[in-house]
Amino acid sequence: MTDVLTFSENPQLAGELATAADSIAAGAGGRVFAVEVDAVREAPAHGSVLLVKAARPISGDSELIASAISEAARRRASPIVLIGSTKLGRMVAGRLAVASRMCVLADVRDLKVDGVRLTGVRGVYAGKFNAKVEGPLPCVALVPQGAYEATAGSPGPVEEITVEGFSPRVKRTEARAPQRSALDLRTAKIIVAAGRGFKTKEDLALVEKLAKALGGAMGASRPLSSDLGWLGEEYHIGLTGVYVRPNLYLAIGISGQLQHVAGIKDSKVIAAINKDKQAPIFQVADYGIVGDLYQVVPALLKILGSE
Amino acid sequence: MNIAVCVKHAIDEGELRSDSSGRPQLQGALAKMSTFDRNAVEEAVRARESKGGTVTVLSLGGQDWKKSLKEALAMGCDRAIAISSAGDLDTLATSYYLSRALQKGGPFDLILVSEGASDTYDGLVGPMLAEWLNLPFIGYARKVEIGEGTVRAEVALDEKAEVVDAALPAVVSVVSEVNSPRYPTLLQIMQASKKPMEELALDSLRDERAPLAAVKVLEVTAQPVNRKRVIYEGAPEESAQKLLDALRKEGVI
Amino acid sequence: MKLFHPEHRKAVEIFYEKEYESYCALLESLSETLEKDVVPLSAGFDSDAGGIAAARKVLFEQGLCRMPFEFHGGLSLPFGMYCLGMELAGAADAPTAMSLAIHNTVADGIFRFGSESQRKGTFEDLVSGRKLASFSLTEPSSGSDARSMRTTATRKGSDYVIDGTKTFITNAGEADVYFVLARTEKGHTAFLVESSTPGLSVGPDIPKLGMRGSRTAEVRLEGCRVAEEGIVGEDGRGFEYVKAMLNGSRIIMGSICVGIALTAYQKSLAYAKERRLFDQKLSDMQMTREKVANMRSDITSSRVMCLYASRLKESGAEYASEAAQAKVLATEMAARVCDQAIQLFGGYGYTNSDVHRHWRDARLLTIGEGASEVLRMLIAGKELAASG
Repeated sequence: MTDVLTFSENPQLAGELATAADSIAAGAGGRVFAVEVDAVREAPAHGSVLLVKAARPISGDSELIASAISEAARRRASPIVLIGSTKLGRMVAGRLAVASRMCVLADVRDLKVDGVRLTGVRGVYAGKFNAKVEGPLPCVALVPQGAYEATAGSPGPVEEITVEGFSPRVKRTEARAPQRSALDLRTAKIIVAAGRGFKTKEDLALVEKLAKALGGAMGASRPLSSDLGWLGEEYHIGLTGVYVRPNLYLAIGISGQLQHVAGIKDSKVIAAINKDKQAPIFQVADYGIVGDLYQVVPALLKILGSE
Repeated sequence: MNIAVCVKHAIDEGELRSDSSGRPQLQGALAKMSTFDRNAVEEAVRARESKGGTVTVLSLGGQDWKKSLKEALAMGCDRAIAISSAGDLDTLATSYYLSRALQKGGPFDLILVSEGASDTYDGLVGPMLAEWLNLPFIGYARKVEIGEGTVRAEVALDEKAEVVDAALPAVVSVVSEVNSPRYPTLLQIMQASKKPMEELALDSLRDERAPLAAVKVLEVTAQPVNRKRVIYEGAPEESAQKLLDALRKEGVI
Repeated sequence: MKLFHPEHRKAVEIFYEKEYESYCALLESLSETLEKDVVPLSAGFDSDAGGIAAARKVLFEQGLCRMPFEFHGGLSLPFGMYCLGMELAGAADAPTAMSLAIHNTVADGIFRFGSESQRKGTFEDLVSGRKLASFSLTEPSSGSDARSMRTTATRKGSDYVIDGTKTFITNAGEADVYFVLARTEKGHTAFLVESSTPGLSVGPDIPKLGMRGSRTAEVRLEGCRVAEEGIVGEDGRGFEYVKAMLNGSRIIMGSICVGIALTAYQKSLAYAKERRLFDQKLSDMQMTREKVANMRSDITSSRVMCLYASRLKESGAEYASEAAQAKVLATEMAARVCDQAIQLFGGYGYTNSDVHRHWRDARLLTIGEGASEVLRMLIAGKELAASG
């Protein structure tokens, strides 16, 4: 008998983990619990909750969260712990795995419990290949966004666990508030994304206009938020950024490195504009325009404007 | 300052091909130091350049992995520890043996890793090392400042940026934006072969804490790409019209 | 565009088996630097004489010019490794490679024939890249017939005063020091003339068919005063030195041509696989396959010839003929291969400088550093003398 615990600081992911947990609970033969820290959040409270509280806030600190989950896990029958695969999630999973001597299946979907093992499928070699992996129970699994559909649920019974001696070793201060929530990108049906093909920050206005004209959200590849600092981290789409799954993903001036493509490959339709015919993005696009974005984007805007 | 940096000799995913059955051609596949690990090595060398001390580079591998260690030495690390492993160890075991080597080769004030390997981007070894060694962990640092017995970092987390402080010793993972890694000169590459490299076997590192269970890889197959790959190459106005028509037909706009 | 290929690994394995791992690591690292910092700029150099200074700087920092020398900052690598390094540089950007090769020929001259103080001074400045050198032999009325040069160096007290005009000089105007051959009473003598020497002036850049990134101009010496210490080696033995220097540099020019040809070949191969006509791929057509086979064999055999000549040089054996053979073969091969590359690209080859500049670059090298005709005379001369 194995219980399934879930944790994600990201509410959308937490909802998806609830679905994932439900899908394997039967095979595991146990119950599902969502681990929350400090306070129970409104959504996606779903089913039973194990709320871990300490004298000081736990949320945001990977070491404290790992300890909190470890504490919660100790009180349940040799559990499977599903953690949402975010940067914080990985930091938590790493510490938790060592603290509780559990293996980690990273970035897995299609989870199945088979007796004493958990199996799943993950991307390897920057998403070029899929690997079927298996870990002995108890174990931790990092589940990426979009692997499961979040299901609405109603909050169930809350069991409070109070812990002592939780002292953060890393002092944190917020450097900058995000310009907008990345939730926009995750739920957007249409995304228009900018890449290195743009020469200046001001030129991004073209992308904003096009996104607006199509009724979608604006995103970007990694260099625009990291190297160039033109946009906040919340715009960054890719393996190390936001994972999106829109109906239409339009990549403009983006070369299509594997790390970026990993974040968009489940989009329904991918389109691209790039002046380099050999750009890898054209390998993964349904429709591509080989041309200068500074001519093509205004052309698109003109047609959309006159309609 | 005693600085350590851990690197992975990773398969070059850009060059990896699949065979006729859709499996990756791993035999003879090109491998190199994982892309982001170069940033970690560069950061370690810069830390030594500003604070003094030594940089030890460690790597666990089975085949040709010493090549990456040599590259790290050429970039400026002072000594290397090569942990030889015959089989593929999972992240828990890898981090365990690295932590044991760090204990044996240490004590270290600062341990650097990258945000993740270029072939299997997990980002787990860093926090695992911190837990094995009972140290604080700072993840995804885009700027690292070393003070008196402390480290301050600007970190790029999901959706927000933070400034964090921790006491040394600590484990820090850096993102690729932290620096621009140097390319060693031919002279530095030649001199690297004279720097000390110690090889350790797993047996010599194992103690009672060694993890027993491990993740197994059952099967690896190519991810099928089912995209239409329609290309428009004419005048901008024409291509734009064709694209919009196609997208309308798809029903996505 | 990747520069380091399995064929390079094979070459290292065959010619330098014992050092295979470490030599491959060196060439791989050099390739990465070239790919990152030189290749992206190469197309632009075709219309920007002097632009290559940035690319040269990168290669100086890497230590390319240090490769073949044993002391004073050299890396003590075999000459064949220097060839492969120059081949990769030539594949990345031909004018940059040629500019550095010529600069390094001067360095070689000073290293072998100069005084200890010249080795510790000028030579170290040259291999490190602190200073740039220019090899000034050719004159308006004497190219292949170098002995008939008119530039004179007249003794005035303990100094020499040099008067004359040199032309088609690579790195002219950018160089810090000019290696000048002039006639004295004793014969031909090699001088190191600082660019700041009063009376030394450089003409405007001479427009060329190719190698446009590299500066080429006339160098005028009018009453240039050079101290005795400025002589390289002995008064009157300059020509001897130049012949020795040119042996090595001819192999290098051959290697650079191998690099140019390889780049042109790879571009046309990639194009042939994409281009469709008459309902098939260009690469499936029989005539294309003949071209591919010829280009492939041409490149491989020229590389092997250059490395063979290098190994002879390394062993201390006589190698002037083999060096000349390598240059004749490789430079003529490069023009041939690059010409075929244009042909394969068809109209796009003729109109796209990214294709035709390889032929334009290669076309110089059957002329410079020993025209093919002169080298054939050298080769045949040795053959007939040997057979009595």
